Amino acid sequence: MNSRVSLYYLAFCSILSVLSLFSCTPKSCKEKTEILAGATFYKTGTGTISAPDTLTLLGIGNKDSLLYDKAIKISVIYIPLDPNNDLCRFVLTINQESDTLTFIYSPYAHLLSKECGYAFFYYLSECRFTKNILDTVIIRNPRITNRNEENIRIFF
Amino acid sequence: MKKTFVSFFSLLFIYISVSAQEKDTILFPLKIRIGADVFGPGYYIADKNTLAIEGFLSADKDATLSYALDGGYNKFFYSQYNYEYKCNGFFIRLGVDFNIISPFTSKGIYFAGAGLKYGISLYTHETPFFNYENYWGSAIGSLAKSTKLAHFIEASPGIRTELFPNFSIGWTIRLKILISPGTGKDLKPVYIPGYGNGTKSFSPGINYYLIWNIPYKEKLIIK
Repeated sequence: MNSRVSLYYLAFCSILSVLSLFSCTPKSCKEKTEILAGATFYKTGTGTISAPDTLTLLGIGNKDSLLYDKAIKISVIYIPLDPNNDLCRFVLTINQESDTLTFIYSPYAHLLSKECGYAFFYYLSECRFTKNILDTVIIRNPRITNRNEENIRIFF
Repeated sequence: MKKTFVSFFSLLFIYISVSAQEKDTILFPLKIRIGADVFGPGYYIADKNTLAIEGFLSADKDATLSYALDGGYNKFFYSQYNYEYKCNGFFIRLGVDFNIISPFTSKGIYFAGAGLKYGISLYTHETPFFNYENYWGSAIGSLAKSTKLAHFIEASPGIRTELFPNFSIGWTIRLKILISPGTGKDLKPVYIPGYGNGTKSFSPGINYYLIWNIPYKEKLIIK
């Protein structure tokens, strides 16, 4: 019986050692929870990345807050889409000239992780725009996720 | 920590080899085992959101190899500030257990080894509500109840010893690798019965078994 107890004690200690490798502490959310469409500015004709002198971006219907307020010399912007709709509009002002950008998309739920919960990803199907300063807008990658990828290219 | 882990197992193996009997032959009892897990019900007392009821049936092929079938039922509920999740379902794991102790030492009453099993989980899950906030405000959604089939494999090192004639107790650690959660990549399950966290490709677990042994045959083992 003593040998049985010793064997069992040794094995029990072994298991405790293994268990100590796995932490049971609750984990916090470490994924990116902001789902943003990445847009890069290009100079028409040259095809090279070009940062506008100043840039302002506002979501139409959300006049309380500007996404970018006279931002200086930035070539990449990140745009949040409205998960409650399949269309949203923005006023984009580049060097004091304004255009309207309209995104048409399909939102779909995505589980980020157990700790973070769900977010809405989007499949961007169309991009419409006025042509005061903008020349063209092309969809580079229609899947808008939490990876901060370049989804659209804006030529001005 | 690794040193501690290695040293305990080294001690275990040294103990097993030193205590080996010097007999040339042994009449080894082959057994059928029926085990019930008490860790899951015990855990449920502390956390009413996770119910795990499971057991196993195994039969010795010879002194070192057993065929094993595990089965069980899990019910899981999770809630945090931005979503709720419910899941329940059944699972089975089918495979073999290898006893690394010499038959001359184990004598059919000790087990130290590992299992290798394939698992299938049939489960139903739903997300009654989730909330997502961004620049445009708050978006509330839900995901309807759906039934899925998940697949996984596991290695399960463990130990068992007979306390009384035909009654054993033992621990099993379960190291599981997810093959498929049965869903697309966007709506992975938060929990898979028999596996654990469905958002991870690796999931550890543990069981503590009470086991009833039924000897069905004796086999002569010659050194």
